[in-house]
This record gives sequence, structure tokens and C-alpha cells, in this order.
Amino acid sequence: MTRPSYDRIAVGDAPAPLVCGPLTRTDFVRYAGASHDFNPNHHDEVYAKANGNRTVFGMGMLAGGYCARLLTDWFGIGALTRLRLRFVSRFWPGDVLTCTARVTGKRIEAGRRLVDCEFSAVNQAGEVIIRGDATAAL
Amino acid sequence: MDPNASGKSFAPYEFRVERGKIKEFAGAIGDPNPLYRDPEAARRAGLPGIPAPPTLLRTFLYETPDAKDALAVQDWSYIVHGEQEFEYLAPIYAGDVLTAQDRIVSVTEKESRRAGKLQIGVIETTFTNQRGEIVQIARRTLVETGKRISE
Repeated sequence: MTRPSYDRIAVGDAPAPLVCGPLTRTDFVRYAGASHDFNPNHHDEVYAKANGNRTVFGMGMLAGGYCARLLTDWFGIGALTRLRLRFVSRFWPGDVLTCTARVTGKRIEAGRRLVDCEFSAVNQAGEVIIRGDATAAL
Repeated sequence: MDPNASGKSFAPYEFRVERGKIKEFAGAIGDPNPLYRDPEAARRAGLPGIPAPPTLLRTFLYETPDAKDALAVQDWSYIVHGEQEFEYLAPIYAGDVLTAQDRIVSVTEKESRRAGKLQIGVIETTFTNQRGEIVQIARRTLVETGKRISE
């Protein structure tokens, strides 16, 4: 992996999309164990249905983890200076999430060469699951 | 939510960032990057150890329920995790011992046509490493809706 250089990166640049899924209940359970998120809506079918959901749904932070992975694949591990995730809608077993990002600006601040970007994760129907923005120091 | 909870801070808690947890977490987000698993690969990449993935520390916010309890939410099925933000101030590596301090930044109210009266609580956690450096600040925004969250 080569990091993009500050001089060459331009507004509108985008990494190759990251496609995750089709997601399974096992993916949710695995993330529950790794993240300690034991909200039963994410792993307990009986509970989730009793709460008015058609089945269990994925954790926002799981989709957020996929988005963060797109960014570390792009900018390199350790480059991010900030990351913001907005949880727009839920996702379900069988969904395929596609994460994309694009550069929205670049600036030099206190000697640091910063690149701003926005990103999203959308499902197979094009519905936005996560929207976010981040800054990387290159 | 209790509007008077705004400004409250809570007892700090300590935890170690374990190498096994980083590997497990990377696996759970489907990230095959060897830097999260192999100390040799990390060294070759010029890192002093195995780095923490960007969203890992959200995992440790389940350590204490104090801040959540102070928000005095009546029914958690009316709560949505609206937003999560991280500021990265210094790198975190496996073996670091972090101290986390939670603070409720604000509790505000807003009227929404779709979801009724919204209450928005922001919890900020500051993470300091074993050398006293602030390494990360996390902010989670919890939204209590006037209606139960369902499809």
C-alpha cells in the first residue's frame, strides 16, 4: 500500500470502493464479541422481533468500522486526525454495504498537511446507512 | 434524559489495549491488514508496535455505565446512537494502558416533525496513555425520540 502524497492528491479523488457482504447474523455476533456491544437487538432474534423489528439489525459501529477500514486502506494506518460517523439508517442480514469516499479539501495547518474527505456506506438499494467525514495528515 | 446531567463527569477507568483484542476487532470488521496481527510486519512498517484500528476504543466505552446512567434514560428502546466522533491526538499501540474519563458535554432538546420531541445527549470520553499523553477524544451522541424506534 502506498499512501497518496499531499502534493498529488486533489479534491474529488476517491479510493476504490470497499464492498462488504452479503452480511450475516454471524458477522453481527462476531462484532458483538469483539466490541462488547451486547444490545440484544443485534443478536437475539426473539428480542428484536418483540421490539417491532423484522429481525436483528447490524451495529452502526460495525458499518462505521468498514468505513474506517476504507480510510486506513487509503491513507494508511495512523494518518487520521479525526473521524465522524452519522448513523442514518439501519442494515440487515443479507445487505451488501458499499463504502466510498472522496477528497473535499486540502489545507496546511500548523505545518501539518491535512486532507479532508467525506464518505458513506450505502446498501444494495442505494440507501445511505452511514454518512461521515474525516481528516488525514499526509 | 435528565437535562441536569449536563456538565457531570465521572470516575476514570483504566484498561490495557491488548494485542488479542486488536486482532479480534480487525477480524470482526473484515480487515486483513497484517499490521493488526504481526509485530514483525508492524516493525517493518516503521511502527513501534501493533496499532489500534480507528474505531477500536468505542469498544471500551462499555466498561462503565456511569455516564449512561446519569442521563437517566427512561426506556432505551427509544434511544438511537445518532453520531460518533473521534479525535486522534497520538497513536495507540498494543500494550498501552489507557485511562478513560467520561463527561456529559450537553443535554439539549429539539422538536422533530417525524419523531416528536428529541432529547440529545453528548458524552465525551478522553483517553490518556501511561505517559500522561491524551491520545484520543471520543464523542457519542445519543438521541432519545418521542416514539419507539421501529420500521
